[in-house]
Amino acid sequence: MPIFAKSSESSVTRAIISQFAKDMQGFAETDVIVIGGGPSGLMAARDLALKGVRVLVVERNNYLGGGFWIGGFLMNTITIRAPAHKILDELKIKYEMYEKGLYMTPGPLACSKLIASACEAGVSILNMTQFDDIVLREKNRVAGAVINWTPVSALPRQITCVDPVALESKLVIDATGHDAMVVRKLEERGLIKIPGFGAMWIEKSEDAVVEHSGFCHPGLIVTGMAVSTTFGLPRMGPTFGSMLLSGRRGADVAYKHLKGKK
Amino acid sequence: MSRTSTSKARSDLLQEVRIYSPERSVRTDISEVVDFIRASFPSLKINVKRSPLTSIKKANTEDSAIRLVQARVKDPTRRLQSFEPMFGEVEFERRAILGEANVGGIVYDGRLLEEIMIEFAGIGSPLTTASLVLTDRLVSTYSEDDVRHHLRTVVFGFPSIISLPGIVEAPAKPREYYMLKQALEAEGASELHFERLKSEFRDRFIDYDDARTTEVMKGLTLQTIMYHLTLEPFCRNKSCRFFNAHWQEELIEGQVTKGVLCEEHLRRVKSLGKNPRIGWTAR
Repeated sequence: MPIFAKSSESSVTRAIISQFAKDMQGFAETDVIVIGGGPSGLMAARDLALKGVRVLVVERNNYLGGGFWIGGFLMNTITIRAPAHKILDELKIKYEMYEKGLYMTPGPLACSKLIASACEAGVSILNMTQFDDIVLREKNRVAGAVINWTPVSALPRQITCVDPVALESKLVIDATGHDAMVVRKLEERGLIKIPGFGAMWIEKSEDAVVEHSGFCHPGLIVTGMAVSTTFGLPRMGPTFGSMLLSGRRGADVAYKHLKGKK
Repeated sequence: MSRTSTSKARSDLLQEVRIYSPERSVRTDISEVVDFIRASFPSLKINVKRSPLTSIKKANTEDSAIRLVQARVKDPTRRLQSFEPMFGEVEFERRAILGEANVGGIVYDGRLLEEIMIEFAGIGSPLTTASLVLTDRLVSTYSEDDVRHHLRTVVFGFPSIISLPGIVEAPAKPREYYMLKQALEAEGASELHFERLKSEFRDRFIDYDDARTTEVMKGLTLQTIMYHLTLEPFCRNKSCRFFNAHWQEELIEGQVTKGVLCEEHLRRVKSLGKNPRIGWTAR
């Protein structure tokens, strides 16, 4: 007796296509599009989804999580400073205290739990999908994202003349890390000027990343490392705790904005 | 002649010190600082006021937020240049003015901050009042000597500014701290390394939320009053509270370990305490 139930190749194909088409119908117009599925983007998306906001995460890689899988020097212990450990409690991620105010957790555990939590909250994901451009509306308000398959960008143009598609949203969150890809599109149009990194090394710059997480332009919120790039904050690699808190703050700002509009 | 002279003496006499609280931080015990100053200057009224940067009139919030953005030092190797503020930057400063955001991590030009406080908060005059603004903001001034900005603990002026994070970040930490930091960075940035760095040198620099900050504040406040009266706030003696510390260890020695004035400055402060005359206006 076979282990698996009987099915056919055509049924499998139809299942994939029909669900994807149904999902894309919904993605075409949503509340918030988060560009980048690293810790800050996932955190922002999760918090918004838990409040009933329709959120889509666009991730260019096959895998989600960004740099959250691994810590310094390719060692997979993630360190989190208080008060961000409270988020680990919320996500039911086990951790140990290294010393007062400093906590450790295995990267694979923390990252997979965060991804699962975002998905369970109702976040939609488009992985292997690259952000291509922004959608602009009145007074240059950001109102969506233009996307394409990631492999398209990896092949010669003469082979892959594949036009992208545009998705509309009330807000876009740039969680693309140091690249600040969405903000850069505004800069290309002369709508914003990115100052780059400050050269001073200052301990509290990670606080500044969290505090500056929010709107940088009408319709566009920045979270995570993209905040450093966008606002030219002083150097010092912001840490995972600040990525999680930055995502949370971005979600708060977005939710208040959406709620105010309703 | 004598009438003019009497009138001038009155207007040149320091009568009041106004200490403006930092925007949000509460770690520094200002009442201890006030008692310390009162002991040296018993005739002065000493008033503690709310931060001028969180008590700007509502009508001026937007304009002052824009000016605060323009006071940000984005490239410490260049003199401040005018630029178009970003929507998000103005929004952040607006929230900071309303007390809804912490201001750590950004560096502001000290001279422009003074201008903003004078223009939008109306502080710094008359000369018979010495205004001292404590701030949670990092403050720098541009130096023509090496053509770059330098973080400051104190920016002397009218008003003077004491930066609380500047006490931690501006004076250099021990040389060995930076050597170890460089070695650890080669292994990859990590919070564990950062904590190790801090614990190894804990006694040799003032940290955030450090109990010694109040003691340091006493000496720095005294320096600002001395500047107001004489324009000469510094002493060459490392053991004097008027020493201009460039290293954390010098700051700790002058303000905490020794925590006294040299003989010359003790004599001057006693004299000024009895007669707080603003001497430099007669020059």
